[in-house]
Amino acid sequence: MINKIKNFQYIFLSLTYLIIVLVVLSTFKDFGVHIEEKFHRMNGLYWLNYIAQIFNFEKISLISEIKLKEISDYTLSSVEHYNKYGVIFDVPLALIEIVFNIEKIENVYHIKHFFSFIIFLISSFFFYKILIKRFKNFFLCLAGTVLFITSPRIFGDSFLYKDVLFLSFFNIALFFLLKSSDSLNLKNIFFFSVFSAIAFNLRIFGIFLPVTFFLILIIKSLNNKNIYSYFKFYSFYLFSLICLIIFFSPYLWSNTLANFLDIFLALKRDLIDADIKILFNNEFIINRNAPDSYLFTWIFISTPITTLILFSLGYFFYSKRFIKRFINIKKEQIYNDLWRGQNEQKDFIIFFILTSFYLSLLVFNSPFYNGWRLVYFLNIFIIYFTVYQINNLIILYRKDYLKRKIILLFALASIIHNVICLVIYHPYQSYYFTELISNNKKNTFEGDYYGISGKHFFLKLSSDNKDQKIKIAVASHTPLHRSLESIDFDLRKNFEVVGQEYKNADFIYKNNISEVNSNLNKKYNIPNNFVKIYELNVNGIKIYEIFKNIK
Amino acid sequence: MKIFFYKSILVFILFILAIHFSFGVITKQIKREYSSIVSKEKIEQIKNKLREEIKTGTEKEVLINPKDAKLLNNFLIKLRSELEKTKNK
Repeated sequence: MINKIKNFQYIFLSLTYLIIVLVVLSTFKDFGVHIEEKFHRMNGLYWLNYIAQIFNFEKISLISEIKLKEISDYTLSSVEHYNKYGVIFDVPLALIEIVFNIEKIENVYHIKHFFSFIIFLISSFFFYKILIKRFKNFFLCLAGTVLFITSPRIFGDSFLYKDVLFLSFFNIALFFLLKSSDSLNLKNIFFFSVFSAIAFNLRIFGIFLPVTFFLILIIKSLNNKNIYSYFKFYSFYLFSLICLIIFFSPYLWSNTLANFLDIFLALKRDLIDADIKILFNNEFIINRNAPDSYLFTWIFISTPITTLILFSLGYFFYSKRFIKRFINIKKEQIYNDLWRGQNEQKDFIIFFILTSFYLSLLVFNSPFYNGWRLVYFLNIFIIYFTVYQINNLIILYRKDYLKRKIILLFALASIIHNVICLVIYHPYQSYYFTELISNNKKNTFEGDYYGISGKHFFLKLSSDNKDQKIKIAVASHTPLHRSLESIDFDLRKNFEVVGQEYKNADFIYKNNISEVNSNLNKKYNIPNNFVKIYELNVNGIKIYEIFKNIK
Repeated sequence: MKIFFYKSILVFILFILAIHFSFGVITKQIKREYSSIVSKEKIEQIKNKLREEIKTGTEKEVLINPKDAKLLNNFLIKLRSELEKTKNK
């Protein structure tokens, strides 16, 4: 009987994933090319060339060098300058480009988008495993996993192999952290170190994983005299983590220590754009001086309301429990100080990472831009506490069949809401805003910061002005010319992007992305001889506008 | 030892947060105000305002009233004569 239930669950789960893959296979080509893709392609080819030279793969070295020389962009910094970016995704994809001889540049990006999503999907399975080990309720955990995948902003970004790629690997590392905390053994710790190293390779925030693991072992050792064994395991973890960080970063293969320190120094020096203006709540603020409410506001306005309510309640009730445990710590006690069983230990780890990370961002005054995309991995914790709260309600009403069903229906309604949003916003899900705020308010925040509307813009102009040579000016900070790579070569050659030289342009592309205060600086003002002929509006959000020169 | 460990962590966290929510928040506020005053755009806006005012001023038939004109004239003559004296010395 148990086997039958398990088989049914696996079939149901597989079917869910199959449906998602089929839907994505038919739609993933709709996504435009984002403004950093060109750099990531260059990054992959550069480091592939470096590796190929070290290991004497002459052909790969030669091809990657030729391809690198073909990439030119006056707005793009060289990889030699920005050489600390993670290569864990870029290098394998550059290798695929060369091995399978993919000539069409738009196909290179499509493949990258697809692989990026597949990694996200695999990580969502690990998320399901985290949930099922904690809550042991198949339908609840499946609902949580689907909520995780269909969170509109996360889903939209999952094709763009930037922040959601980090989320994916962080999520897998978190799974092994929880597993290692339950049962300390070399196998779990090794896998934990592999994924921690990959997460660190992609974003420096990965550093929270070893710190959390260290704290868990310390707390455990306070009630358990097994300090030597914990020390042994942690040393092994740290050693393999360091080796793997070096292994995954060709940048660290020479001058290891100096280059490693430089990763942290570079953060301050150049990786975070110094003092750029960002549109936040109708005000242009300097990104290094964003108010403390910046992150909170962004999460609030771009997360579905049901998820937000359940998360808030779940976080509140867990905090209450944590404070109670903290107050009641005694000198001698049978259980661990801050948790009772393995389930509560998992809750504590999730709570600790979320809270300590949020507070660190505030205390270190981290600069932000483009909403909360840099910390999209927090969605793991948001959905975890959402599921936690649904589980609390199910336990509370375990004797009341009707109320239990209402709670599950509520979860189902949240999923349906997410799916509807994915359909409405397609392919701009990464710019989703909650229905709680007015359309006017939505446009007082940064919109198409990735410039993925560029593809739609060029295709629209192509279909409206067949085979004509068109000059485009850009009334935005978006490097629009990079989006040309998202369309076919025959169409591409009809366009010339002239920057802010409005007088030479036939059309102007405008979105609300500006690095200067556009209320005071007239740099992106549309000249009087241009009239608006088109606006792409998705659920009240002005994605972009086209202005035509009437001379 | 255990109780001491937890208390130390608690005190450390509270101390950091107290610093942030008092000193840190005020510093941030001052920085924001300062940068909005001295920003390139703000200076550009002030320059444009000056240009506009000068332009409207020059378009007027009478720029300054006769009393002020007389006063200014006297002042300039006085100033000039004093400068001449200093030059001759």
